[in-house]
Amino acid sequence: MSHDGHHSVVIPAPGPEFVPHTVAHHFDTPVQEFQSAKLGFWLFLATEILLFGGLFAAYFYYHDLYPETFRVGGQQLDWKLGAVNTSVLLLSSWTMAMGVRSAQTSQKQKTMLFCALTVLGAVIFMVIKFFEYKAKTEHGLFVFPHMFDNYQVDGSSNAGSLAWFTDVHNVMVDETGAPLLHGHLFFAIYVTMTAIHGLHVIIGAGLILWIMKGVAKGRFHAGYYLPVDLVGLYWHLVDLIWIFLFPLLYLVP
Amino acid sequence: MSAHAHNDSHGHGELQMGHHHVSSSAMFTNVLIVLLILTAVTVIASRIDFGPANMLIAMLIASVKASLVILFFMHMKWDTAINKIVFLSSFLFLSLLFIFTLADQATRRIDHPMHATKAKVSKEWAYPKPAMSEKH
Repeated sequence: MSHDGHHSVVIPAPGPEFVPHTVAHHFDTPVQEFQSAKLGFWLFLATEILLFGGLFAAYFYYHDLYPETFRVGGQQLDWKLGAVNTSVLLLSSWTMAMGVRSAQTSQKQKTMLFCALTVLGAVIFMVIKFFEYKAKTEHGLFVFPHMFDNYQVDGSSNAGSLAWFTDVHNVMVDETGAPLLHGHLFFAIYVTMTAIHGLHVIIGAGLILWIMKGVAKGRFHAGYYLPVDLVGLYWHLVDLIWIFLFPLLYLVP
Repeated sequence: MSAHAHNDSHGHGELQMGHHHVSSSAMFTNVLIVLLILTAVTVIASRIDFGPANMLIAMLIASVKASLVILFFMHMKWDTAINKIVFLSSFLFLSLLFIFTLADQATRRIDHPMHATKAKVSKEWAYPKPAMSEKH
């Protein structure tokens, strides 16, 4: 009995390998709990769209101002790595959808397997991203790592290296070899968008690991799979953002 | 609650989270194959020079891919009306952001140096070296 006199609603486990789910006391029915959580999560995903939307607006604005800078900048990225990462994320979206489906049909082992494969996809994605970042950092095209490199207060050596965009190989130039206007801009937008996206990949992978812990305990089954469903939605959003990032950054139109 | 055909069992009556749509594995696999094909199409289309239409084509393909992910992987096709409205409204507000930002840009003076799209400038001008103060 809860304080307001209602019985706690318990969703029974469909088998011995599962545990029952007790509906939170502030909900009257399992349906209400499910629909409230779904509505809240879709609202959160809407704010995510707006977060990335601001960055996409910045991209379109500067792409329109400096198309040549963006074209040459895009050529510095390896589109093959971008295409591999796109495929990895699409495949991991499929494994996540299959994981949710397995939870909906009370298939514990399959849920675990598909979740593990999704995390594997996240790891492959981030490893590829790491090597891409590493190369761009070494070429002096990135913002963060060069902020305070070799900075000498007396200016005796490496004077001026406080400028974070060093472009050591002089790649951001036009066909005559002259530096492009605001050559750093493409990479500033590239690193901001992909780093925030990458953060979502890491958070998503962490959430899926948390789901796997629940799967191991038998918490998710046909009667109650809400957290699996919501984490699945989050993972698909990560894929959704990348679907736009890939052509805009690697195949600059 | 959306009225749709659901193929899962509702043996426990109201001791369930409600009406679930359990999609078939084949449907998910078909969507994945289409998404991978469209990724290849994106790469091929970017190799062909359509002029300014390249951006439009790339965004069109991406939008089709995004719609497939939202409708099928995210189950929006079978979701409630309120959830559809909440999520899709974000794209409405996003379009306001894009329209006003780009309308502002399109109607600005273009003789300002900031708008020189292919200006030849020295590296020192574009990336001024910071003044180094003497150590006292």
